[in-house]
Amino acid sequence: MASTPTAPSWRRMQVPRPLQQLFDRFPLRTYAANDLPERSHHLTSSDLPTLYVFSTEPDARLGLPSFNPACLKWQTLLRLAGLEFRILPSTNHASPTGSLPFLLPPRTSTNTTTTTTTAPPLPIPASNLLTYAARQHTSAAAPDLDPDLPARSQVYLSLITLSLRNAWLHALYLDPSNTALLQRLYIRPASSSRGVQATLLCQLRRAAAEQIANTSSSMVLSTAAASSADAVDEEAVYAAARDALGALASLLGESETGWFFGAEGPGVFDASLFSYTHLMMEFMDGGALSAAAEGGMGTGGLGRMLANWLDDVDLTA
Amino acid sequence: MAASLGFGGSNVADKANATASPTMTQHSYQGPAQMLDEHLLTPASISSLEVHGAANTRRTLLDHIFKPVVEQSAHAGTTLGQILDSVGVATKKMARFALCILLADTQLLQDIFKEEGFGVFLSEAPRPESTRATDRTDLDISIRVKEKARWAFSAGTDFGNAEGSAYTNAVARNIFGGAETLSVNASTGTRTRSAYNATFSAPVNGNPDLRLSVEALRSATQKPWASHEEQLMGANLRLAWLSDTSDTHALSYSGVWRQLTGLAATASPTVRADAGDSLKSSLTHTFTRDRRDNPMLPQRGYLVRTVSELAGWGPLSGDAAFAKTELEASGALPLSLPGLASSSSKKSGIISIGGGLRLGLLYPLPLGCYSPLSGRAQPSRVNDRFQLGGPTDVRGFKLGGLGPHDGADSVGGDVYAAGSVNALIPLPRTAPDSPLRLQLFANAGRLVALNTSAKSKEKRGGGRESLAMDSATVFRGVKSAVGELANGLPSLAAGVGLVYAHPVARFELNFSLPLVLRRGEEGRKGLQSWSTGYFRMANGRLIGFELFNDL
Repeated sequence: MASTPTAPSWRRMQVPRPLQQLFDRFPLRTYAANDLPERSHHLTSSDLPTLYVFSTEPDARLGLPSFNPACLKWQTLLRLAGLEFRILPSTNHASPTGSLPFLLPPRTSTNTTTTTTTAPPLPIPASNLLTYAARQHTSAAAPDLDPDLPARSQVYLSLITLSLRNAWLHALYLDPSNTALLQRLYIRPASSSRGVQATLLCQLRRAAAEQIANTSSSMVLSTAAASSADAVDEEAVYAAARDALGALASLLGESETGWFFGAEGPGVFDASLFSYTHLMMEFMDGGALSAAAEGGMGTGGLGRMLANWLDDVDLTA
Repeated sequence: MAASLGFGGSNVADKANATASPTMTQHSYQGPAQMLDEHLLTPASISSLEVHGAANTRRTLLDHIFKPVVEQSAHAGTTLGQILDSVGVATKKMARFALCILLADTQLLQDIFKEEGFGVFLSEAPRPESTRATDRTDLDISIRVKEKARWAFSAGTDFGNAEGSAYTNAVARNIFGGAETLSVNASTGTRTRSAYNATFSAPVNGNPDLRLSVEALRSATQKPWASHEEQLMGANLRLAWLSDTSDTHALSYSGVWRQLTGLAATASPTVRADAGDSLKSSLTHTFTRDRRDNPMLPQRGYLVRTVSELAGWGPLSGDAAFAKTELEASGALPLSLPGLASSSSKKSGIISIGGGLRLGLLYPLPLGCYSPLSGRAQPSRVNDRFQLGGPTDVRGFKLGGLGPHDGADSVGGDVYAAGSVNALIPLPRTAPDSPLRLQLFANAGRLVALNTSAKSKEKRGGGRESLAMDSATVFRGVKSAVGELANGLPSLAAGVGLVYAHPVARFELNFSLPLVLRRGEEGRKGLQSWSTGYFRMANGRLIGFELFNDL
């Protein structure tokens, strides 16, 4: 966007050699680079890779779990991968893919020559995070986090990415009883202005309703107003989530190790489920969703996962 | 018996008239000036005052203008001179409605009357036979105006600054008959993806020099120098006035929702950290004193401009809090060189020397607090900081080429100082009034960001846990940034070029070389050109384009 790779031919005029040599003497004097602004210096000059997630400033400082399922999944996976990183509260506007999370490696990693200014690091989207984490690990101690799940897991994965996600979206965005929570998590951090908050709330709700409608055509009551909360069959959404959690619980019960598919340790699938069950229990306390999530979570290693999480946080804090 | 007396027949009125509207009809002197002077002292009163041709203009607006004239003539001792005087003031006021007055960047579209066809006629009223003769002259005053069309529509294109754009504009004049104007603009271009704004403005109390306007705007603009797009949505309320010394002031409140989005893949960490929403709620005062002989090619005179903005203070709230002030001063002097023969300099115009200085400072304030000492202030964001450099700004540098850079992104600074010197030299064998000039220039600038850890050894992480700064830290940071301005030579570029000053636009083609730079700053070696137009001056926008990349 900022630079065109190929200049038009008339721009690539040949400059006579003596003239070029003369021009090369300019500028006559070059001082050291200007310091970056305070905000930038404070936020972006860490020695650690920075994972940009939905979070609050105090939570991020302690490295607490993000309140966004997608962010929490990758945050968990990076911890499982043994990567040392810090998190920074951010918004989808900052992400190269249009949605969080993404990771920025530390500035020093690209410092190769002394003459040119150090190029700032390029962001790493969520899909490449595990590859990045694996590259950072020189020792063989890194746990095996195969991003490619076993074939039969795809069916179960859709239980998480469709049923659980829809239930989470509905509970947080469309259920009026959670409006205060939604505002605390997503709206108020964006702006302190009432007008901006109201607009954002409206936009988020419409987007959530559309998401649910697009992924579950059977749960839409009326196609005419697919973008409104009324158009979504609330009961069907929650029933599907309950069924999904039941199926996942029995699947986990089949495993002898306590992790999905009989793996030795937690993997991508475990992290995906954990990101939803943890948030449902954390924020939807007392609701039907929370109870169902507890049923799904309590039976296996996911509970241990959370315990480990919080132990680690306590150690680092 | 009606002795027609031309409006221009009075010295006093004539003077007022000449400054008000150059095209106003003027009648020549009918008799010796002496006789007229005696006339001016004779008692007089107004018998009738008629305004013709203002069919769409509200009576109250005209009342505001002519009330002083009528009231004054009611006094017994009024002389003809006094009446002519007050008629002059009133017509001057009226003529002001026939001109586009540039009030602090906003062309106030209050031109409800056409400039031509403006006339004032005085005649002695026929006295009824019954009344006894007095030595008092009763006058009939007749003022003729032509109203402009109530609707105007225009469309066009702009090219410049590596951007092409198309715009449409609709203006409704004199909507309620009180010189109220509604102007609606829409434009789209390669860099300004879309921009819409609607402005409604009206004179306060029928005074053409005091106008109140309300504007709503929405735009999306690419900012390639910092790899993002900024979307704005907001409104502002503005009071603009022309002082007696013909300086312009404007006081405005604006509330704008800014969304920094659409980041390029290569956007720097600085820009990524600043992406997202923010609301700026601010009060701004602008002062302009323009005493230049020609804004496009100034050879004599000076311009002073200050902009002061207060955002997020006390009840303003919002998301950004700072005090921001900018000062711009520039002047030009014609130069008479003793070595040059006066005949030759007369033949081809004169050499003039110009100079300019601009200063700016952004001081972070605690959000929503009344005192800058209480509470903690957030450091500035990229869309609040100053940018410096570019063909219309500091020549010889790329757009936003000066100041802190994060990779390729110009991330802006909180304090700046920039100065320029230029000489305009007439080209040989051109007419004295030729708009083409040779230009020699040198300009320098320094743009520094507030950074509280810049001086300390602790470069990474920072000692502070939170981003917010207490008042002592802010003060220390700003002080050190101001001190940094004078650290070493300023970034400097010099060059030579051609200037063409068309009545509606100014074009420049310059060759320049950077002399002093900071690492990361982007100077331009070679040719750079720009133009600024009056076409879209309503938006205060300069258009420029660059012909060649670095040689």
